[in-house]
Amino acid sequence: MPFCCHGCQGAYRIITGAGLGQFYRRRDWQEQGVPDSVFQTDYDDGYLQQFVRETAAGAELSLLIEGIRCATCVWLIERILASQPGVVSARVNFGTHRLQLVFNAAATTSSALVAALSRIGYLARPFTREAAQRQAEDSRRSLLIRFGTAAFLSMQLMGYSFALYAGYLQGIDATTRQIMQVFAALVTTPVVFYAGFPFLAGAWHSLRNRAPNMDLLISLGVLVAYGYSLWAMLADREVYFDTAAMIVTLILLGRLLENAARGMAGSGIDRLLRLSPELATRLRDSGQQERIPSVNLRPGDRILVASGQRFPVDGLIAKGTTEADEAIVTGEAIPVLRGPGSAVIAGALNLTCSVEVTVSRPAEDSFVARIIRLVEEAQSRKAPIQSLADRLAVVFVPLVVAISGLTCLYWLLAKNDPSSAILNGVAVMVVACPCALGLATPTAVLVATGAAAARGILFRGGDILEATARVRVAALDKTGTITRGLPEVKKIVPATGSAHELLTLAARLEQASTHPLARGIMRAAAEKMIVVDSAPVQNMPGQGLALTTGENVLRAGTRDFLAGCGIPLPPETETQSLTEVHLSIDAQYQGAIYLDDALRPEAPAAIAALKELGIEPVMLTGDHNSAAQRVAAPLSIPFFARLTPAQKAAWVSTTQTRDRPVLMVGDGINDAPALSAASVGCAMAGGSDIALDNSNLALTRPDLGKVAQAAKIARRSLTIIHQNLFWAFFYNILMLPLAAAGQLTPIHAAAAMAASSVCVVGNSLRLRRGA
Amino acid sequence: MLTSTVILIILSLFLGIAAWLIFIWAVKKGEFDDVEGPKYRMMDDDDD
Repeated sequence: MPFCCHGCQGAYRIITGAGLGQFYRRRDWQEQGVPDSVFQTDYDDGYLQQFVRETAAGAELSLLIEGIRCATCVWLIERILASQPGVVSARVNFGTHRLQLVFNAAATTSSALVAALSRIGYLARPFTREAAQRQAEDSRRSLLIRFGTAAFLSMQLMGYSFALYAGYLQGIDATTRQIMQVFAALVTTPVVFYAGFPFLAGAWHSLRNRAPNMDLLISLGVLVAYGYSLWAMLADREVYFDTAAMIVTLILLGRLLENAARGMAGSGIDRLLRLSPELATRLRDSGQQERIPSVNLRPGDRILVASGQRFPVDGLIAKGTTEADEAIVTGEAIPVLRGPGSAVIAGALNLTCSVEVTVSRPAEDSFVARIIRLVEEAQSRKAPIQSLADRLAVVFVPLVVAISGLTCLYWLLAKNDPSSAILNGVAVMVVACPCALGLATPTAVLVATGAAAARGILFRGGDILEATARVRVAALDKTGTITRGLPEVKKIVPATGSAHELLTLAARLEQASTHPLARGIMRAAAEKMIVVDSAPVQNMPGQGLALTTGENVLRAGTRDFLAGCGIPLPPETETQSLTEVHLSIDAQYQGAIYLDDALRPEAPAAIAALKELGIEPVMLTGDHNSAAQRVAAPLSIPFFARLTPAQKAAWVSTTQTRDRPVLMVGDGINDAPALSAASVGCAMAGGSDIALDNSNLALTRPDLGKVAQAAKIARRSLTIIHQNLFWAFFYNILMLPLAAAGQLTPIHAAAAMAASSVCVVGNSLRLRRGA
Repeated sequence: MLTSTVILIILSLFLGIAAWLIFIWAVKKGEFDDVEGPKYRMMDDDDD
């Protein structure tokens, strides 16, 4: 039986399963459905077998599930699969939409399980983990283990350190002190050499490249504190093991927090690749159909694409007419009509009819594949943003080493005291190592991102916060960003009768259609309290609708559609930038409804707020000049029209200079290259996944005003970070002369470290308020 | 007195190491791979 979508098919199964099959005889509905074949995910066992891994628990298969919208989908999929015979376990990762399926190969087949999934409306695709992805996952885990180890050992260390501090103040017998110091050394050693290994490796790297960086400063401080403490332990002096361990632990925590914020980035390209199906139906010359992997398609091949499927490659339609939903690729919500000879793009969804397509480009050269390449290029070209601390380290590391050396020389030459020379030289290094520096940026970033998230603004890490604060130009996409992306009724021009009558007529025709224009008309009708009965409306994709009642034929559609039905129309008026829907009863022209994609209501205020912040707004669009003009004029912002995705990205890269970073705001895949080329890419809620994944900054509510708010929060946190860094360095610099003069006692050093850390954390917490 | 302090310290170290080993095991098992899903999963009614 044909169904229009997965949802209806699922409902059918539930209804018939409950013994209520007569529903389908009772209901009054005549529209044709989509052929049944659309819902058969025809992976055969042989094809799936190559993705199955044999493990001790059973056969294991990783699938990427299309159609997961919320946690309930995860629940449903797991329950349905668990109820299948032979399934050992099924777990869906909510973040990555990956299903880990373990089953007993003797009791069931992989294709049966995939079929069970497609029965409830989820499309599954075999998922192969790329080597790079597996590596990223492993490094995330190893960072977590390093941090866990460092945190656990530091906790132990604190116990011993407190005993030692108490001993320093109140007196302690020499044996107990010695034992405490040995335990402290015992737990610190793995923290420095195992947990701190990434820093040591980074420092070694930076030494070989002769580019001092943060890692070098950290390693220097840690190693000196650790080495000195070992020596002090043997020489029966005060030890600084806790300094060494805390530096490592706090900085690892900072990296972990930053990593978590980036979590999802990178999986976007993977998901984009999977937009275009892996299997295609090729038509042989004999008319036979065969399933082959899409990558094997060659230009000139003829393929069949059923309705409800995505186009596997770019091509030209050879036979059939259909409507294609290219929203995910172009960001335009309105489906486009594709007839013989017109081009279709890989990844677009074939909505209404089965068509035959002649392949024009191999899969690796498709529009989507080229976009992916543009994105990857832009990402790799973007130099890693040097953090402020790194830039400071370039000056700070040599400075500290120099002061330490001078101190050493002074005590050696002027005072002729080799033992004090070494001790004081080391004291300078220990006190100079900025413990609070490890906290300065991450705490501010954590508090600021948390406060921003509560307002619906998601920053993907500290460097993004910094970059957003420096932004000078905001490039805005038109459709869906400055405008709503939903057409609205602007003008009703009846030829005879009233506007209300015309809208009622339109509503009768459009009530069942899912076309965005129809939804716009229905919204207008609902506002006017127009209620219509459902009727068997005939749908002509890309042209219009017709309804045959007892006595009349009602029509709604494009100018060409009505003209083609032999209805006399008034001459075209100058409204080219508005979308028109014309209506008729029999051969009588009734009038037209004009729709327009309206500005977001908050747009003028949002643009004004950006200008107030000294950020220059610019509009970029793929749309034609007059449409762009109409949107840009009331906002009085400059615009660039008719830009391809690559041109948008090029515009961003040429406009962008060191002192004039660009913030790009967009929502579609067509914005993805520009989003990743810009210093800061900002995706609006409701946009495509790929736009979200390529953005550094995501807005969870479709509110343009959030852009200016994000910039405000970012600027405030940058100020706080600067203050934090100042405090972190200030204490150390204040202590340096004391250490160099040989006047610094351990308890003073510890107090200074604690005070600077408290200052920094307290200052960061201020970000929670205001903004 | 000193001996018992040392014994207690060593004992506490062992306790800590046990907790640390459990943590390592959990990371290796992938317990921290999906930190988003479990908060919804706990809302499920488990009948089976």
